[in-house]
Amino acid sequence: MTRTLATLAATVAAAALMVGLAGSVAQAKDFLLGSELPLTGNLARVGQGMHEGIAVAIDMANKAHAGTHSFKVSTIDDETSPAKAVAAVEKLIGEGVVALTGGYGSNIIGPASEAAQKAGVVYITSGGVTPDLTGRGYKTFFRINNTDGYALAMIGLVQQMAAKKVSVVYLNKEATSNLAKQVKETLGAKGVAVTMHEFDGSTSDFKPLVNKVKLQDRPDVIAMVGYENDYVGILRAAKVLKPDVKAMVGVWSLATAQMAKEFPDLMENVHGTSMLPFPVEFTQPEALEFAATYKKLFNKEPDYLGQFGYVQTRLLIDAILRADAAGTLASGGLPDELRKTDAQTLIGRVTFDAKGDNPHFTHRMGQHQGGKVVLVWPKEAANGAMRFPATPW
Amino acid sequence: MIELTLQALFSGLLAGGYYATVAVGLALVFGTMRIINLAHGELVLLSAYIAYAAESRYGLNPVMAIPLALLVVGTVSMIVYALLSRIRQDREINSLILTFGIGIIMTNGILTIWAADIHSTTNPWFQDSLVIADTLFAMNAEIVAFVGGLALMAAVYWWLNHSWQGRAVRALSSNRNAATLMGVNPRQTEILSFLIAALLATFAGVAIYTGKTVFPALGHVLTVKAFIITVLAGMGSIHGVLIGAVMIGIIESLTVTYLSASLQELAGMLLFLVVLFVSPSGLFGGRRALAR
Amino acid sequence: MRHILLLAALVVAYAGVPLLFGGTPYILGLIVAALTIAGIAVAWALLGNLGGMVSFGHAAFFGVGSYGSAVLSMKLGVPVFPAVLLGGLAAALASVAMLPALRLRGPYFALAILAYAHIFQILATEMTPITGGAGGLLSIPRFPVLFGLDLGGKTGGYVIILTIVLLSALAYDAVRRSAWGLALKAMHDTEVATRVVGVPSTHLKAAMLALSAFITGVVGAFNAHFISFLEPDYAFSSTWTVLPIAAAIFGGYRTVWGPVLGALAIYLLDQLLFKPILPHGHQMVLGVLLCAMILLSPGGLLPALRRRSTGERHAHA
Repeated sequence: MTRTLATLAATVAAAALMVGLAGSVAQAKDFLLGSELPLTGNLARVGQGMHEGIAVAIDMANKAHAGTHSFKVSTIDDETSPAKAVAAVEKLIGEGVVALTGGYGSNIIGPASEAAQKAGVVYITSGGVTPDLTGRGYKTFFRINNTDGYALAMIGLVQQMAAKKVSVVYLNKEATSNLAKQVKETLGAKGVAVTMHEFDGSTSDFKPLVNKVKLQDRPDVIAMVGYENDYVGILRAAKVLKPDVKAMVGVWSLATAQMAKEFPDLMENVHGTSMLPFPVEFTQPEALEFAATYKKLFNKEPDYLGQFGYVQTRLLIDAILRADAAGTLASGGLPDELRKTDAQTLIGRVTFDAKGDNPHFTHRMGQHQGGKVVLVWPKEAANGAMRFPATPW
Repeated sequence: MIELTLQALFSGLLAGGYYATVAVGLALVFGTMRIINLAHGELVLLSAYIAYAAESRYGLNPVMAIPLALLVVGTVSMIVYALLSRIRQDREINSLILTFGIGIIMTNGILTIWAADIHSTTNPWFQDSLVIADTLFAMNAEIVAFVGGLALMAAVYWWLNHSWQGRAVRALSSNRNAATLMGVNPRQTEILSFLIAALLATFAGVAIYTGKTVFPALGHVLTVKAFIITVLAGMGSIHGVLIGAVMIGIIESLTVTYLSASLQELAGMLLFLVVLFVSPSGLFGGRRALAR
Repeated sequence: MRHILLLAALVVAYAGVPLLFGGTPYILGLIVAALTIAGIAVAWALLGNLGGMVSFGHAAFFGVGSYGSAVLSMKLGVPVFPAVLLGGLAAALASVAMLPALRLRGPYFALAILAYAHIFQILATEMTPITGGAGGLLSIPRFPVLFGLDLGGKTGGYVIILTIVLLSALAYDAVRRSAWGLALKAMHDTEVATRVVGVPSTHLKAAMLALSAFITGVVGAFNAHFISFLEPDYAFSSTWTVLPIAAAIFGGYRTVWGPVLGALAIYLLDQLLFKPILPHGHQMVLGVLLCAMILLSPGGLLPALRRRSTGERHAHA
């Protein structure tokens, strides 16, 4: 009797399992994500970088969930224009995308994510770091990085160098001047003498500016806050004028494989934010697969733009799958599911607070050393010794 | 302070050299055809990208890429000319729009072919410093660009004043009908001035590639700068272009030194307006630009 | 017959378009953006046709108008509609600073205005306490709810910008037909002669510049409240100069409605037709189109259409 019952139970269980399995196979879904990015215009370069990271995340997700789910992304170029970004978001939502990943430039992400908020669609990004974006408290807005994380890294490194005098040379755009001011305030409060030098985007000859730093400020460290062509201009001027400093420190777009390859002589010993060393040391399988997929798709080494684009998209995909499993995806459960995120990623631990910001975001600092990027700050992430004092000349 | 000022003047002079090599081609074409070529900056940019392609793919020294770049830029320049010469009415404004459209096509073409990354020469010699008397610093690339640009401009100047074709160019710019009556073939002369503008653009492009960084959106910036210098000089005046360019370069670098680098463009623009208001046809433009 | 056609067009514009595209905010958004360009294009063509001045810096007026209105409504609490008009007034006031440029001619004037646009942009970046500096202004008040119609939404924005463009074009037409317009036309032909007869040419030109600036400023102010965000690079972007010029030329800048038609054609063709086909290279198509128009029909689209529809044989060119 018990035996029969047990058999019956086992049969029922097996049947239930079968049904369940069949059910889950039947539920295999195609998820369409939307992506609004600057692929042309002023921000074309960074937009294309993030675009590549998103493509890698989609490719890896399709491989991981092959046979059960598939993912696609529909991308629209916002042409570095806020109005076109809003139009793109509205068009993507009209196409029925599950959520949006992308966006570059706080001024473009602002209106674009507002359009997404109106439609109740999730918008996740890593392309705008201003506090204003999360300050709006949108339920559907998520961001994995922020100004604080960049500032902390730069400040941490400068303190590790025990610099007494710092000259901050910064571009007068929003993200760059916010960051520069934060660095000045924090370092100033700690007794470091900070002088500020603002420049505008049309500056191509930095010699008069660097000469001022060299002859008037005489700092220990020159901190640069700008973008690629600004760094190249400042470093070239510094290499010519050879100010008596102990280190050249920058932020984003600087400690990258691309810069090491394009400007080998200029980059030596320069510091910049970098999440992973280069060449990437494969300590975790995800990073390994990421780098391999990147190489396969784009035939080059991944840069930080790709990493951030990848991480934001992967977290989004994970949350979509969780919401789908819980049956809340269609009823607007995705924001709540994303808010439950607590993951170790390529850029460290990520969680989201009520405003969609990632409180754990801290960047790391890397140094160009002989064509490689070595992580030198913080201590626990470092994979090599910091060369200090050291400059490209 | 003296050291700072001297370096600022020196940097401004060198920057002026760059501006002038870009602007002279524009001024020359304006002189002969009364046409502003709004695609001129894109021609310069095209040359820079040819130098990049030659260097990154075949390891060619950027200077050695000049002949190849000249061939490409010259061809494109001829296409621009051929299209321009088909305009029949409202030449002044329609040529602006036509060349503006060509500029859009070229910028997007460059973006499609070479992506949006920034590029500059990897040859370290160009970035090595050259120090004069321990106070004046420059990159080798800047000195080469300045000296080469100056020599090229001097050659153009000499050619305009002393060769028969050069005189034809000047005759055409001062009185088209009279020049034609005197046996100047306007078509031939215009083609010649376009080719010389292409030569100058080619040189400027390679100079920018070696001394600065290039990216697709740069073409438009260069056109505007060249246009402003051409107007500042007085339309069609070649030596005025050099003086105007150096003035802009120096006022920018002095602003960086004494005020802030974020105000340098403001200073350049104010200088431009002040010159125009004092002398409405530019520094060396005669009285033509005054309202009738 | 003409009146019936006009009435029909108005009904379609005011009722048909919102009914048709009200459900697709994407399309309506594109039309609003196209009309924004159209508004500037009308103002630009007005200055070019009546004042005889080609401007390369209408972004200056657009930016001043948008900042003026945004700052007034955010910092001083001025209601949005009056603020938009005051934004236009601010732009007209800015044109007073350009009066010395009026004695310049041709490219000299065009570039002087461009220099002003650059200077205003730098001032907007540097005057951080008022303008928010490079960070710009976020959450600019939207248009209010009026008579039960939410003017802050897409449809509301469409109705407002459509009205602005229509009024601007009508004002342009009215000036052109007035005694002023006649004087301005005479001035084009021979300025000296006009002056001798006693027409104050500089005053007339200044008035045209101020009118053009006012219209552009109002359009800029509309855009600021519609997009609800501003920063110097955006407000003074050369796009606000370049696209309207292209639109005006494309549509036919010697006519009143050509610039409107041109803006709608260029913007909507580019975004709806070329962009899906060539996601990255569609601006190239725009360039080709512009070149082709100049070479094949230099008068623009509207005159070309008219020629075709009336079958006029005598060359207008």
